[in-house]
Amino acid sequence: MPVDPMLQPLVAGFAVEAQEVIQKVTMDLLELEREGLENDALAKIYTRLGRHLHTLKGSASSLGLQDLGDIAHKLEDALAPLKAHTQKMPRPVVDVLLHGLDLFMLRAQAHADGRGDHLPDPAAALAQLVAAAPPPEESAVLPGGAFAQVPPTVASPPPVSTSAAPEVLPSLEPAGESSDAGWRVSANQVTSLMREVERLREVRLRVEERSRELERVSTLLAKQGLLAETAEARTLLSGTGRSLRTDGEETSDVVDALEEGLKAITTRPTRTILDPLQRMVRDLSRQLGKEARLSVVGAEVSLDRRLLEKLQGALVHILRNAVDHGLEMPTEREKAGKHHEGALTLRVEQQGNLLYLEASDDGRGIDLNQVRKAAEKRGLVTAEEAARLNDNQVRDLIFSAGFSTRSDVTDTSGRGVGLDAVRATVESLQGRIEVSSTRGQGTRFVLTLPVDLGSSPVLMVRALEQFVGLPMLAVESTQLARPDMLRVGKRRAHLEYQGQLLPVVDLGARLGLRASSPPAEGQPLLIVQSGGKRVALGVDAVVGDRDLVIRPLPSEVRDVASWQGAATLSRGELLLILRPDWVVTDTEKVTVSAVSRRALVVDDSLTARALHRAMLEAGGFQVHLAASGARALERLQADTYDVVICDLDMEEMDGIELIARVRERKDTRTLPVILVSAHDSAVARERGLSSGADGFLSKRECAAGRLLAEVLDVMSRRGSRA
Amino acid sequence: MKGTPRMVDEALEEETRELLARRAARLREQGESTVEEAVHWIAEFPLGEERYALPLESLRAALPLRMVTPVPLSAPAVIGVLRFQGQVLSALSLASLLGGHGWRQDPAVLLVVDRGDGELCALDCEAIPRPTTLPLAFVEAARARAEGPVVEVFTQDRQLIHLIDPRRLFAQSDVGARHAR
Repeated sequence: MPVDPMLQPLVAGFAVEAQEVIQKVTMDLLELEREGLENDALAKIYTRLGRHLHTLKGSASSLGLQDLGDIAHKLEDALAPLKAHTQKMPRPVVDVLLHGLDLFMLRAQAHADGRGDHLPDPAAALAQLVAAAPPPEESAVLPGGAFAQVPPTVASPPPVSTSAAPEVLPSLEPAGESSDAGWRVSANQVTSLMREVERLREVRLRVEERSRELERVSTLLAKQGLLAETAEARTLLSGTGRSLRTDGEETSDVVDALEEGLKAITTRPTRTILDPLQRMVRDLSRQLGKEARLSVVGAEVSLDRRLLEKLQGALVHILRNAVDHGLEMPTEREKAGKHHEGALTLRVEQQGNLLYLEASDDGRGIDLNQVRKAAEKRGLVTAEEAARLNDNQVRDLIFSAGFSTRSDVTDTSGRGVGLDAVRATVESLQGRIEVSSTRGQGTRFVLTLPVDLGSSPVLMVRALEQFVGLPMLAVESTQLARPDMLRVGKRRAHLEYQGQLLPVVDLGARLGLRASSPPAEGQPLLIVQSGGKRVALGVDAVVGDRDLVIRPLPSEVRDVASWQGAATLSRGELLLILRPDWVVTDTEKVTVSAVSRRALVVDDSLTARALHRAMLEAGGFQVHLAASGARALERLQADTYDVVICDLDMEEMDGIELIARVRERKDTRTLPVILVSAHDSAVARERGLSSGADGFLSKRECAAGRLLAEVLDVMSRRGSRA
Repeated sequence: MKGTPRMVDEALEEETRELLARRAARLREQGESTVEEAVHWIAEFPLGEERYALPLESLRAALPLRMVTPVPLSAPAVIGVLRFQGQVLSALSLASLLGGHGWRQDPAVLLVVDRGDGELCALDCEAIPRPTTLPLAFVEAARARAEGPVVEVFTQDRQLIHLIDPRRLFAQSDVGARHAR
């Protein structure tokens, strides 16, 4: 069946798009096969399925691919009676529909490759599809007997338009990659392009800075008075400032677009390799008479395309092994008190520049004795060596070349090729693979791989002034604190959540930014889970979700347990990304340290705050920081402190005004306050001390020991006066 | 007739003398420039009341101190992290690294330096550094006497400069986490 030469260039694109639609149809069919779906959900899936099949039919027909149109039509016919009486789709029908889709795709690819002329007669393909229909007793369970009612003749395809092919091609999904429509570029070229985008982002920041400088000059000129001599210069400056701002905004858009584009070129969601595995698991378990369900967590994580391509084969090996060797037959599982359907889980998580890929099953686990015997039999170890190996070493034997516990060769295993290939793939990517297993409970493979490219969904939250990111994978849900759901104890609050009491962790306190306190009504609480533990994490605000590229931290902060990396936000600032496992770990230690002496450092200089903090922590103080007088007053309202160290010269509210406000309040009237200043003059000292400060130090004097001595002295004097 | 050859000889001698003189002058120039090259280029900046310096070869950039994200629970010397040419760098307090040094004005500049191990980091600084030189012999003599990350070098006009050796500074500094894993 020759394709019109004018349309041939479009067929390749059609095949790629059809592949994407078929993947979606496959996922929907697997969903329909499952138990426990509500009628509403079933109806939605049937509707979507019908739409996708119709799209396939229309697209194929518009390109003159009549055989494909016929197959899609037949599949639509098969679906129609089921759609009318919304219900779970019987497995034999799913089999036939999947088979039909395979047929469709094979023929679509052949057309795309220009082999359409050599395809067998479409009637034979359709007959094959009918032949694969369930036997009458199975189809009889369907209302109307789905396949029994498939009309023997195929409806005529819609007329083919050749004059305006691109227009009539129904819109499928966004175009994928066609092997004919692209360029080959080296990874280095893309990496250097990404570096250039980073530079452009920095240029954009500098443009913004120049714009602010111009504004300052303009303001200064305006302060000189409205002199006619400067009027023209001021007008010119204002105009240039406005243009610069517009240019900055446009550059910002360009940077964002370039970054998005590069991300799309270099990465793709892991879903693209994980979704097809659903079908593989289903077909294999059917073939072996088993039942299995694959759950995927973290499919949204986008990774380097090259890495995904290499990992796909490894994952297929691991899952085939899990179904073949790990999962028991349904009857055996039920006898062991398990659900007849085996559970397979794939979990993808990116932490900094490491990717964790976990594949687990709830099957029979690895029989170490059997592994020992098989390894001996295949000559991988001698009996003596096998006897000396510990359990971990025995488990590692499954990665040896030539290892298999099967004595016979089947379609799926027995050739001794599999896990050694998986390990070789992982090692070729500079990664490692580990296995753990419990007899009767299951097996878990963990692949750890370094990744340079890729992005992960992150939830951005705020604790005081600190914005941080939390991997979405770890966030189960969010809710606002309500008194009736909280159990506030002496040391800790708990949240009642799904019949459990979860410890409430205050993120601000956990990060050492403030003292811990029970959540206020309406405060956002995130249910965070990691490694089987869950906590309710109290934050001050939930900003929103972002898809971010997480970069590793530099060596000076790499060992801080709380952070896994940092990501760049759109304005160029960095967002620290929390480690979920750190968030859920026990916080007892923090609670204990809360009894130490507490100091509040108020300074608008980031480095001055850091220096004061360093000196005071060295003296055993727990230090909280505030970047302004207003923030300091907020902290003083919420927490109690033993001493305040405050900068004299701050914008908005200076140290003198802060002291006045502190002395006004009854609970802080006697709080020791030390003023520090970059101005080392008698006038500044006099001004500071007369404002009610208990001590005054120039920043030059704040050398090691001097600040601490002053703090202790002031506290002791205040104490004796009190 | 005898005079002519003498004159030629004299002329040749004069030419030779000139040639030798030019060569000597060239060599003298080379000698002088060798003396000039025997210097150590530094980036000098104030820290409190004292003058500090970093080897100019370790300095990569001077940036305004902004867009630094604080890192809670990090070591006391860590001010935060920032982006520099696509990399994430730590910004560290030099005064803190030097054991709690007083300062005269709040740092407004970050110096991006090569730590000596190929990695970059940023150190805070009160003012943009001034490129200048120290006699290499003085630097070498001071280095031979000192073992720590800061060597005291006197300039020819008897000014004291604290010259920082980044490699030694970062090798001895504990800039890990307060709650390291």
